[in-house]
Amino acid sequence: MHLYEVLRRPLITEKATSLKEKDKYAFEVAGKATESQIKEAVELAFKVKVSKVNVMTVPGKTRKFGRRQVTSSPWKKAIVTLAPGNKITFFEGV
Amino acid sequence: MKVSTENLENCQIALNIEAEASELDKSLDEAYHHLVNEVSIPGFRKGKAPRAILVQHIGKKNLLDEALEHLIPQLYKQAIESQELKPIAGPQIEITQREPVIFKAIVSLKPEVKLGDYHSIRLEPTPAIEVSEEKVNAAMEEFRKRQGAWVPVDRPVELGDLVTMDIQANVDGKPWLNHKDILYEMDKDSRSPVPGFASQLQGTEKNKERTFSLIIPDDYPIKEMRGKEGTFKVTVTEIKAKQLPELNDELAKNAGYGNLEDMRTKVAADLRVKAEARNRLELKQKALDALVEISEVNYPPILEDEEITELLRNEAQRLGFREITDYLKKANKTEEEIKQELRPIAKKRLTESLVLGKLAEEEKIEISSTEVDNKVDEITSDAEDKEKAKQFFSLPQIKQSIEQSLRTQKTMDQLLQIASGNAENITKGE
Repeated sequence: MHLYEVLRRPLITEKATSLKEKDKYAFEVAGKATESQIKEAVELAFKVKVSKVNVMTVPGKTRKFGRRQVTSSPWKKAIVTLAPGNKITFFEGV
Repeated sequence: MKVSTENLENCQIALNIEAEASELDKSLDEAYHHLVNEVSIPGFRKGKAPRAILVQHIGKKNLLDEALEHLIPQLYKQAIESQELKPIAGPQIEITQREPVIFKAIVSLKPEVKLGDYHSIRLEPTPAIEVSEEKVNAAMEEFRKRQGAWVPVDRPVELGDLVTMDIQANVDGKPWLNHKDILYEMDKDSRSPVPGFASQLQGTEKNKERTFSLIIPDDYPIKEMRGKEGTFKVTVTEIKAKQLPELNDELAKNAGYGNLEDMRTKVAADLRVKAEARNRLELKQKALDALVEISEVNYPPILEDEEITELLRNEAQRLGFREITDYLKKANKTEEEIKQELRPIAKKRLTESLVLGKLAEEEKIEISSTEVDNKVDEITSDAEDKEKAKQFFSLPQIKQSIEQSLRTQKTMDQLLQIASGNAENITKGE
């Protein structure tokens, strides 16, 4: 997998925003991406130094859609810890 | 906050207000706290998004707009207080610059009225009213006509008759009217159904069919029929003429008078009262015009607009429309057009009322509450449900409007006194 395909999007949520204080950033990543690939991808994309990556699979959720049960797809979330002194700003200057 | 003022014409002042950065920051902060509770942003609970995220989501402009919405009235109020102005209406605000915030507020001030030397107004006393013999005769004749009864006659139709007829009319070969037994008053100038119809019908005998044709004139209301030839087939079935009663004591008695002579004097007195009232009204208007003529009135245009709206609403209400828009639709005019038409009237009314108000002030005309109460009693005395009427008239705004109209009346009377040269005598006598 090419490094450009690893990161899907940053997660901008209440929880992710509060994690920024600890230099941690959350991303939605490709399902088959590994921790080391994510590290490389973030370093390449944001020109920062990554000290740690944690990943987890967020299970798909079932919802009732009319009379049908529908399951949304599971996806992979990565929490990236940066080395002290590094920073990422998403969507700067809007 | 920095404020500079600029005097405009017509009792208006322009304030140029510039907001300090700290004031704007405070206002932006308030706007954020206000908006964050209203906007839902995915990934955040309501009210929990940080400012940066909110700005990204709704845009900088919206936040600024929200901030200005609160900041501007606040600054305006401060400016008014610091400049010690007393506006009579809301300002017209124009934002000239956003960063730093500069805006211009046009403030309408109290109208200025400078009365001329109104003590020097002198009006020609109106000539004494004379109720001439002819006028009384005309009034009596009018009364006689109203009392007349329709009596069937046996002769051809004449002008002034009331006929019953069957009519069939074709215009340009196509059927138009077809009525049986309709009543028609033979009025020479009648434009119904077409001008000249009555003259054509003249001389028709009873129960004889008569056919004639008329060219429909170019100003006829129905467009399609203009200039075409209409054929009328008419059968008159009954002819009635108006029989006027004899002008004698009996007629007078029936109408509630003692006898004919009594009726004459009463009718004459009635005419005199009416003429006097009309004269007085004219005199009042003349005095008012003279006063307006010598006075200088300056008022902000917003008052004029308010007056126009008021006029428009009254007009619409008078004609039985609930909404002004309905009235506009019916009159087939845009709001702009009709406002343009009403502008001169509004101007006149406004100046008159301002001048009168000033005059009341100068002449120290006061209305006591007992006077208002007396007036209320007078109005309610012939109301059906007295309690209800009393209740209605005890509303403060109704009382106020009664007081206002009483004051206008009193001022008007005072003005008339002055104009007829009686005022000095009164003041000297005191």
